Amino acid sequence: MLQHYHHNHELGVWDEEYEQRPPTPRRTDSPDDINPFLLERTPETPLEQLTRHWLNERHAPDILPAQEELLSGMLDHLRRQSEAVHLLRGDPSSSDEEHIRIMLVQTEIERVKFIVRSYVRTRLFKIEKYARFVTSNADVQRRLTAAERDHASRHAKITDQHFYLSVLQSLPDAQAHLDDTPVFYPSMVTEPDKSRPVFVHALTRCSQITLPDGATLDMEKGHISLTLYSVVEQLVARGEVELI
Amino acid sequence: MNDARQYGELGTQLLLESRRSTQTDTFLKYNDTLVRSLIREQRDLEKAIDAIPFEGGSPPPALLIIQTAINRNKRCLLAYHAHRVDRLRDLYWSVGGALPHILSNQELRGRMSPHEVDYLRQYNSSIMEFRSEFTHELDVTASITIPPKDIHALVRVVRDCGVIQTELGSIDFKKGQRFMVRRADIEHLIVQGYLEEV
Repeated sequence: MLQHYHHNHELGVWDEEYEQRPPTPRRTDSPDDINPFLLERTPETPLEQLTRHWLNERHAPDILPAQEELLSGMLDHLRRQSEAVHLLRGDPSSSDEEHIRIMLVQTEIERVKFIVRSYVRTRLFKIEKYARFVTSNADVQRRLTAAERDHASRHAKITDQHFYLSVLQSLPDAQAHLDDTPVFYPSMVTEPDKSRPVFVHALTRCSQITLPDGATLDMEKGHISLTLYSVVEQLVARGEVELI
Repeated sequence: MNDARQYGELGTQLLLESRRSTQTDTFLKYNDTLVRSLIREQRDLEKAIDAIPFEGGSPPPALLIIQTAINRNKRCLLAYHAHRVDRLRDLYWSVGGALPHILSNQELRGRMSPHEVDYLRQYNSSIMEFRSEFTHELDVTASITIPPKDIHALVRVVRDCGVIQTELGSIDFKKGQRFMVRRADIEHLIVQGYLEEV
């Protein structure tokens, strides 16, 4: 990869080289493409996938499955791009035009890094918020990376410890626990609120979405709707809708 | 207790502090006195419960009232502390995870309880461990407020910050000087208030 860059002085602007196809804007999809068998969706570029997962993660109340493969592919690509940029910048025979492209690639690298960072931090925020829930729920744990799982346990531990040292240890024994379940009190373990409303954008035609009152909702491709997260949870997981 | 007070009054005061802190967006001084008096009240209430005779059947109303007060006070205590550590974490991220920067700020540090300082240290080491899972290419603690539009930034030095490694080699930032540098190299210095964008 590096050699290739070095000899040919070629540097694709992000997607060009990664995907080998011109990026097609997804949002221009006509809303009347209703036959899922005749019209397949154009495959998303990794950056488009990342952007979708990033927005989903930012809008979903729950912690979504980690996109480890996508992310590590992205990070590898970032590293290769940075190395190529570094080599080309140091090469005195690079033309002016090349330097402009280098600058574009560098800017793009920084912008992609921003998305990756924001994605990782959004997950981290939720993991910390629900740390105690995460440590006791195998289902959520499966959706996390190993590093995230470790952080969740460490976080639950230091938070409990802080409560113990600041408050609980000074209280009488009968009160010194973190698992009270008095009636009419919210649980001591914060869980994601799946009944939170979200805006969904249908990426394909979605029929027979069951609403809480038993009615069904059909969404044409391109439609936008406001509904409970729990209603569209599975559709988000399958990538048939995205949160916006 | 010789001063007449309603059950839960101290708890309400504590919650009021948290609310005030949110409304004014400030990290208030740890109210050690109030926390201590509330803990004392909890012990007294526990003693009062023990003193109530209770043999089977339905519990006497006094017991239910006191138990409710105990539960409420405890949740107020925990909520107060949870709210404070949330604010501490916000503070931590607002300076890009620069723990020494927070701890060397005497005014800020004076508002924390010793346990909160410990908490912040532990939190920092947990984050550092998480960060080390990524290659040095990606610093997950860097800013996520404004997406970068330009790779370079023109900055003015507000406070001396010594020699910093940048893409252009090492630069000794002295107060009053201006530099055109790569944003990614110095972003943390802007966040910590050493540099200012022109």
